Amino acid sequence: MDYDAQLKLQAYLDGELPEAEAREVANWLAQDREAIALFAELRNTRQALVGLEVGVTLPESREFFWSKIEREIRRQEQLGPPARSVPFFSAWRRWLVPAGAVAAAALAVLVGLSGGSGVSLVETAVADPAAFTYHDFSTGTTLVWFSYPADDELADNTPAATVQ
Amino acid sequence: MSDKDHSSTDDPTLVRAAQRGNMAAFEELVARHRDKIYARAVSMMRNEEEAIDLSQEAWVKAWQRLKQFQGEASFGTWMTRIVINLCLDQLRKQKRQRTESIEEMNEESGGVERQMPVVTVNPTAGLERRELRQRIDQALNQLSYEHRTVLVLHQFEEMEYKQIAKTMGCSIGTVMSRLFYARRKLAALLADLKKSGER
Repeated sequence: MDYDAQLKLQAYLDGELPEAEAREVANWLAQDREAIALFAELRNTRQALVGLEVGVTLPESREFFWSKIEREIRRQEQLGPPARSVPFFSAWRRWLVPAGAVAAAALAVLVGLSGGSGVSLVETAVADPAAFTYHDFSTGTTLVWFSYPADDELADNTPAATVQ
Repeated sequence: MSDKDHSSTDDPTLVRAAQRGNMAAFEELVARHRDKIYARAVSMMRNEEEAIDLSQEAWVKAWQRLKQFQGEASFGTWMTRIVINLCLDQLRKQKRQRTESIEEMNEESGGVERQMPVVTVNPTAGLERRELRQRIDQALNQLSYEHRTVLVLHQFEEMEYKQIAKTMGCSIGTVMSRLFYARRKLAALLADLKKSGER
Protein backbone atom coordinates (compact mmCIF):
# COMPACT_ATOMS: atom_id res chain seq x y z
CA MET A 1 0.00 0.00 0.00
CA ASP A 2 1.54 3.32 -0.97
CA TYR A 3 1.63 6.39 1.24
CA ASP A 4 -1.13 8.24 -0.62
CA ALA A 5 -3.41 5.25 -0.13
CA GLN A 6 -2.60 5.19 3.58
CA LEU A 7 -3.44 8.88 3.92
CA LYS A 8 -6.64 8.36 1.97
CA LEU A 9 -7.61 5.61 4.39
CA GLN A 10 -7.09 8.02 7.26
CA ALA A 11 -9.11 10.74 5.51
CA TYR A 12 -11.90 8.20 5.09
CA LEU A 13 -11.81 7.47 8.82
CA ASP A 14 -11.99 11.19 9.58
CA GLY A 15 -14.87 11.80 7.19
CA GLU A 16 -12.75 14.12 5.03
CA LEU A 17 -13.33 12.41 1.68
CA PRO A 18 -15.95 13.44 -0.86
CA GLU A 19 -18.76 10.92 -1.26
CA ALA A 20 -17.48 9.29 -4.45
CA GLU A 21 -13.99 8.76 -3.06
CA ALA A 22 -15.40 7.54 0.24
CA ARG A 23 -17.35 4.86 -1.66
CA GLU A 24 -14.17 3.77 -3.46
CA VAL A 25 -12.30 3.43 -0.18
CA ALA A 26 -15.19 1.51 1.38
CA ASN A 27 -15.05 -0.98 -1.51
CA TRP A 28 -11.31 -1.25 -1.21
CA LEU A 29 -11.60 -1.85 2.54
CA ALA A 30 -13.95 -4.75 1.92
CA GLN A 31 -11.27 -6.60 -0.04
CA ASP A 32 -7.82 -5.64 1.22
CA ARG A 33 -6.65 -7.25 4.48
CA GLU A 34 -3.69 -4.89 4.82
CA ALA A 35 -6.02 -1.90 4.52
CA ILE A 36 -8.41 -3.43 7.06
CA ALA A 37 -5.60 -3.88 9.59
CA LEU A 38 -4.30 -0.35 9.17
CA PHE A 39 -7.80 1.09 9.33
CA ALA A 40 -8.46 -0.80 12.57
CA GLU A 41 -5.24 0.51 14.10
CA LEU A 42 -6.06 4.12 13.21
CA ARG A 43 -9.60 3.74 14.52
CA ASN A 44 -8.43 2.18 17.80
CA THR A 45 -5.98 5.02 18.37
CA ARG A 46 -8.63 7.59 17.68
CA GLN A 47 -11.02 5.80 20.03
CA ALA A 48 -8.41 5.62 22.80
CA LEU A 49 -8.20 9.42 22.88
CA VAL A 50 -11.93 9.97 23.29
CA GLY A 51 -12.70 11.69 26.57
CA LEU A 52 -9.05 12.08 27.53
CA GLU A 53 -9.57 15.70 28.62
CA VAL A 54 -12.70 14.88 30.59
CA GLY A 55 -12.08 15.20 34.32
CA VAL A 56 -8.96 17.33 33.96
CA THR A 57 -9.39 20.17 36.46
CA LEU A 58 -7.37 23.26 37.22
CA PRO A 59 -5.49 22.57 40.47
CA GLU A 60 -6.24 26.04 41.89
CA SER A 61 -9.29 27.32 43.73
CA ARG A 62 -11.78 29.53 41.93
CA GLU A 63 -10.94 32.49 44.17
CA PHE A 64 -7.18 32.16 43.85
CA PHE A 65 -7.20 31.70 40.08
CA TRP A 66 -9.56 34.64 39.59
CA SER A 67 -7.52 36.86 41.90
CA LYS A 68 -4.46 36.31 39.68
CA ILE A 69 -6.44 37.12 36.54
CA GLU A 70 -8.03 40.19 38.06
CA ARG A 71 -4.68 41.48 39.33
CA GLU A 72 -3.11 41.05 35.90
CA ILE A 73 -6.04 42.78 34.17
CA ARG A 74 -5.74 45.76 36.56
CA ARG A 75 -1.97 45.87 36.14
CA GLN A 76 -2.20 45.91 32.35
CA GLU A 77 -4.95 48.54 32.44
CA GLN A 78 -2.70 50.78 34.51
CA LEU A 79 0.08 50.34 31.98
CA GLY A 80 -2.27 51.41 29.20
CA PRO A 81 -2.32 50.11 25.63
CA PRO A 82 1.08 49.47 24.09
CA ALA A 83 2.32 52.40 22.01
CA ARG A 84 2.40 51.66 18.31
CA SER A 85 5.67 52.61 16.75
CA VAL A 86 5.36 54.46 13.46
CA PRO A 87 8.07 53.64 10.93
CA PHE A 88 10.27 56.61 9.95
CA PHE A 89 9.13 56.63 6.33
CA SER A 90 5.46 56.54 7.31
CA ALA A 91 5.86 59.44 9.75
CA TRP A 92 7.72 61.43 7.11
CA ARG A 93 5.09 60.65 4.49
CA ARG A 94 2.32 61.80 6.80
CA TRP A 95 3.75 65.31 6.60
CA LEU A 96 4.92 65.10 3.02
CA VAL A 97 1.57 64.15 1.51
CA PRO A 98 -0.47 67.17 2.69
CA ALA A 99 2.50 69.44 2.03
CA GLY A 100 2.66 68.06 -1.51
CA ALA A 101 -1.05 68.66 -1.96
CA VAL A 102 -0.67 72.28 -0.88
CA ALA A 103 2.33 72.72 -3.20
CA ALA A 104 0.38 71.25 -6.11
CA ALA A 105 -2.54 73.55 -5.44
CA ALA A 106 -0.18 76.54 -5.34
CA LEU A 107 1.41 75.41 -8.58
CA ALA A 108 -1.98 75.14 -10.23
CA VAL A 109 -2.88 78.67 -9.13
CA LEU A 110 0.45 79.98 -10.45
CA VAL A 111 -0.07 78.29 -13.78
CA GLY A 112 -3.50 79.87 -13.99
CA LEU A 113 -2.20 83.34 -13.10
CA SER A 114 0.66 83.17 -15.59
CA GLY A 115 -1.91 83.18 -18.38
CA GLY A 116 -1.52 79.65 -19.56
CA SER A 117 -3.98 78.84 -22.29
CA GLY A 118 -4.95 75.50 -20.71
CA VAL A 119 -7.65 75.22 -18.09
CA SER A 120 -6.73 73.60 -14.79
CA LEU A 121 -8.67 72.87 -11.65
CA VAL A 122 -7.83 71.83 -8.07
CA GLU A 123 -10.65 70.35 -6.06
CA THR A 124 -11.42 68.21 -3.05
CA ALA A 125 -13.88 65.40 -3.38
CA VAL A 126 -17.10 65.71 -1.40
CA ALA A 127 -17.01 62.03 -0.57
CA ASP A 128 -13.44 62.29 0.73
CA PRO A 129 -12.36 65.77 1.83
CA ALA A 130 -8.88 64.48 2.56
CA ALA A 131 -8.27 63.73 -1.14
CA PHE A 132 -7.06 66.51 -3.46
CA THR A 133 -7.48 66.25 -7.20
CA TYR A 134 -5.60 68.37 -9.77
CA HIS A 135 -6.85 68.39 -13.39
CA ASP A 136 -4.90 69.97 -16.22
CA PHE A 137 -7.25 69.82 -19.17
CA SER A 138 -4.66 71.08 -21.66
CA THR A 139 -2.43 68.07 -21.12
CA GLY A 140 -5.13 65.71 -19.99
CA THR A 141 -3.39 65.19 -16.64
CA THR A 142 -5.12 64.25 -13.38
CA LEU A 143 -3.26 63.93 -10.09
CA VAL A 144 -4.81 62.78 -6.81
CA TRP A 145 -3.24 63.20 -3.32
CA PHE A 146 -4.46 61.54 -0.16
CA SER A 147 -3.61 63.25 3.09
CA TYR A 148 -4.15 60.19 5.24
CA PRO A 149 -1.89 57.18 5.82
CA ALA A 150 -1.87 54.24 3.47
CA ASP A 151 -3.79 51.09 4.37
CA ASP A 152 -0.62 49.22 5.36
CA GLU A 153 0.02 51.76 8.10
CA LEU A 154 -3.39 51.14 9.55
CA ALA A 155 -3.24 47.35 9.33
CA ASP A 156 -4.43 45.80 12.53
CA ASN A 157 -1.69 43.85 14.20
CA THR A 158 -4.13 41.83 16.25
CA PRO A 159 -2.70 38.31 16.56
CA ALA A 160 -4.46 35.20 15.35
CA ALA A 161 -5.87 34.65 18.82
CA THR A 162 -8.87 36.71 17.85
CA VAL A 163 -10.11 33.98 15.55
CA GLN A 164 -13.74 33.24 16.24
CA MET B 1 -27.40 43.01 35.72
CA SER B 2 -26.29 43.10 39.36
CA ASP B 3 -22.77 42.22 40.37
CA LYS B 4 -23.79 39.15 42.38
CA ASP B 5 -24.91 35.60 41.72
CA HIS B 6 -24.58 35.00 38.01
CA SER B 7 -24.73 31.24 38.42
CA SER B 8 -28.11 30.91 36.68
CA THR B 9 -27.32 33.34 33.84
CA ASP B 10 -26.51 31.95 30.42
CA ASP B 11 -23.18 32.57 28.66
CA PRO B 12 -24.38 35.07 26.02
CA THR B 13 -25.92 37.28 28.73
CA LEU B 14 -22.77 37.07 30.81
CA VAL B 15 -20.65 37.93 27.78
CA ARG B 16 -22.77 41.01 27.02
CA ALA B 17 -22.49 42.13 30.65
CA ALA B 18 -18.73 41.56 30.63
CA GLN B 19 -18.44 43.50 27.37
CA ARG B 20 -19.98 46.44 29.21
CA GLY B 21 -17.23 46.10 31.83
CA ASN B 22 -18.96 43.90 34.41
CA MET B 23 -16.09 41.94 35.96
CA ALA B 24 -18.35 39.80 38.13
CA ALA B 25 -19.97 38.47 34.95
CA PHE B 26 -16.54 37.76 33.51
CA GLU B 27 -15.53 35.96 36.71
CA GLU B 28 -18.51 33.67 36.28
CA LEU B 29 -17.42 32.92 32.71
CA VAL B 30 -13.93 32.11 33.98
CA ALA B 31 -15.35 29.81 36.64
CA ARG B 32 -17.48 27.97 34.07
CA HIS B 33 -14.85 27.43 31.41
CA ARG B 34 -11.55 27.42 33.29
CA ASP B 35 -11.23 23.62 33.52
CA LYS B 36 -11.79 23.13 29.79
CA ILE B 37 -9.30 25.87 28.94
CA TYR B 38 -6.76 24.42 31.32
CA ALA B 39 -7.31 20.87 30.00
CA ARG B 40 -6.65 22.07 26.45
CA ALA B 41 -3.46 23.82 27.57
CA VAL B 42 -2.31 20.66 29.37
CA SER B 43 -2.98 18.54 26.27
CA MET B 44 -0.82 20.85 24.19
CA MET B 45 1.94 21.77 26.62
CA ARG B 46 2.25 18.50 28.61
CA ASN B 47 3.27 20.62 31.59
CA GLU B 48 0.90 21.66 34.37
CA GLU B 49 2.73 24.83 35.44
CA GLU B 50 2.90 26.16 31.90
CA ALA B 51 -0.70 25.19 31.33
CA ILE B 52 -1.81 27.19 34.39
CA ASP B 53 0.19 30.25 33.28
CA LEU B 54 -1.06 30.07 29.70
CA SER B 55 -4.67 29.56 30.67
CA GLN B 56 -4.40 32.59 32.99
CA GLU B 57 -2.88 34.62 30.14
CA ALA B 58 -5.69 33.48 27.86
CA TRP B 59 -8.29 34.84 30.29
CA VAL B 60 -6.53 38.19 30.54
CA LYS B 61 -6.38 38.41 26.74
CA ALA B 62 -10.03 37.42 26.51
CA TRP B 63 -11.02 40.29 28.80
CA GLN B 64 -8.98 42.73 26.70
CA ARG B 65 -10.52 41.50 23.44
CA LEU B 66 -14.00 40.81 24.65
CA LYS B 67 -15.46 43.58 22.51
CA GLN B 68 -14.20 41.72 19.43
CA PHE B 69 -16.26 38.68 20.32
CA GLN B 70 -19.35 38.82 18.13
CA GLY B 71 -20.90 35.52 19.15
CA GLU B 72 -20.32 33.76 15.82
CA ALA B 73 -18.97 30.78 17.76
CA SER B 74 -19.77 29.91 21.36
CA PHE B 75 -17.83 31.72 24.05
CA GLY B 76 -16.16 28.42 25.02
CA THR B 77 -14.97 27.86 21.45
CA TRP B 78 -13.66 31.43 21.23
CA MET B 79 -11.77 30.94 24.48
CA THR B 80 -10.22 27.63 23.46
CA ARG B 81 -8.97 29.23 20.23
CA ILE B 82 -7.26 31.91 22.28
CA VAL B 83 -5.52 29.40 24.54
CA ILE B 84 -4.57 27.22 21.55
CA ASN B 85 -2.91 30.17 19.84
CA LEU B 86 -1.04 31.10 23.01
CA CYS B 87 0.15 27.52 23.43
CA LEU B 88 1.25 27.38 19.80
CA ASP B 89 3.23 30.61 20.19
CA GLN B 90 4.89 29.25 23.31
CA LEU B 91 5.70 25.89 21.72
CA ARG B 92 7.21 27.61 18.68
CA LYS B 93 9.36 29.77 20.95
CA GLN B 94 10.53 26.71 22.85
CA LYS B 95 11.31 24.90 19.62
CA ARG B 96 13.43 27.77 18.37
CA GLN B 97 15.43 27.61 21.60
CA ARG B 98 16.48 24.00 21.21
CA THR B 99 18.06 21.99 18.47
CA GLU B 100 15.82 19.60 16.64
CA SER B 101 16.54 15.99 17.43
CA ILE B 102 17.25 13.56 14.63
CA GLU B 103 13.94 11.88 15.35
CA GLU B 104 12.06 15.11 14.87
CA MET B 105 13.80 15.69 11.56
CA ASN B 106 12.77 12.21 10.48
CA GLU B 107 9.22 12.94 11.53
CA GLU B 108 9.14 16.15 9.58
CA SER B 109 10.56 14.58 6.45
CA GLY B 110 8.02 11.78 6.74
CA GLY B 111 8.38 8.15 5.86
CA VAL B 112 9.16 6.65 9.27
CA GLU B 113 5.52 5.81 9.87
CA ARG B 114 5.35 3.88 6.61
CA GLN B 115 7.77 1.28 7.94
CA MET B 116 6.03 0.80 11.28
CA PRO B 117 4.34 -2.59 11.57
CA VAL B 118 0.59 -2.39 12.02
CA VAL B 119 -0.51 -2.89 15.63
CA THR B 120 -3.02 -5.68 15.19
CA VAL B 121 -4.17 -6.01 18.80
CA ASN B 122 -5.87 -3.00 20.36
CA PRO B 123 -3.31 -1.98 23.01
CA THR B 124 -5.86 -0.14 25.09
CA ALA B 125 -8.51 -2.84 25.23
CA GLY B 126 -9.56 -3.78 28.76
CA LEU B 127 -7.69 -0.97 30.45
CA GLU B 128 -9.19 1.03 33.30
CA ARG B 129 -9.80 4.68 32.41
CA ARG B 130 -7.08 5.87 34.82
CA GLU B 131 -4.51 3.46 33.46
CA LEU B 132 -5.45 4.28 29.91
CA ARG B 133 -5.05 8.00 30.60
CA GLN B 134 -1.66 7.36 32.17
CA ARG B 135 -0.43 5.40 29.17
CA ILE B 136 -1.72 7.87 26.66
CA ASP B 137 -0.13 10.71 28.61
CA GLN B 138 3.18 8.88 28.50
CA ALA B 139 2.85 8.29 24.78
CA LEU B 140 1.77 11.87 24.00
CA ASN B 141 4.81 13.16 25.88
CA GLN B 142 6.99 11.40 23.35
CA LEU B 143 5.50 13.10 20.32
CA SER B 144 6.89 16.34 18.95
CA TYR B 145 4.69 19.38 19.54
CA GLU B 146 3.67 19.55 15.87
CA HIS B 147 2.34 15.99 15.89
CA ARG B 148 0.71 16.33 19.27
CA THR B 149 -0.93 19.62 18.30
CA VAL B 150 -2.43 18.19 15.12
CA LEU B 151 -3.80 15.31 17.14
CA VAL B 152 -5.22 17.63 19.83
CA LEU B 153 -6.81 20.00 17.33
CA HIS B 154 -8.37 17.16 15.39
CA GLN B 155 -9.42 14.99 18.27
CA PHE B 156 -10.44 17.44 20.99
CA GLU B 157 -11.14 20.63 19.09
CA GLU B 158 -12.82 18.61 16.31
CA MET B 159 -11.21 20.76 13.64
CA GLU B 160 -11.21 19.69 10.02
CA TYR B 161 -7.89 19.28 8.19
CA LYS B 162 -8.39 22.68 6.53
CA GLN B 163 -8.90 24.49 9.85
CA ILE B 164 -5.87 22.78 11.40
CA ALA B 165 -3.73 23.82 8.44
CA LYS B 166 -4.86 27.43 8.88
CA THR B 167 -4.25 27.41 12.63
CA MET B 168 -0.80 25.86 12.33
CA GLY B 169 0.22 27.75 9.21
CA CYS B 170 0.97 24.68 7.11
CA SER B 171 -0.54 22.79 4.16
CA ILE B 172 -3.38 20.28 4.37
CA GLY B 173 -0.94 17.64 3.14
CA THR B 174 1.34 18.36 6.08
CA VAL B 175 -1.61 18.09 8.46
CA MET B 176 -2.51 14.70 7.00
CA SER B 177 1.08 13.45 7.26
CA ARG B 178 1.48 14.71 10.82
CA LEU B 179 -1.81 13.23 11.93
CA PHE B 180 -0.94 9.90 10.33
CA TYR B 181 2.48 9.85 11.93
CA ALA B 182 1.08 10.87 15.32
CA ARG B 183 -1.54 8.12 15.29
CA ARG B 184 0.83 5.44 14.11
CA LYS B 185 3.49 6.44 16.59
CA LEU B 186 0.93 6.58 19.38
CA ALA B 187 -0.31 3.09 18.49
CA ALA B 188 3.25 1.75 18.54
CA LEU B 189 4.02 3.45 21.86
CA LEU B 190 0.82 2.16 23.43
CA ALA B 191 1.64 -1.34 22.21
CA ASP B 192 5.11 -1.08 23.79
CA LEU B 193 3.61 0.14 27.04
CA LYS B 194 1.16 -2.76 26.99
CA LYS B 195 4.02 -5.25 26.50
CA SER B 196 6.09 -3.71 29.28
CA GLY B 197 3.02 -3.71 31.55
CA GLU B 198 2.50 -7.42 30.94
CA ARG B 199 6.05 -8.35 31.89
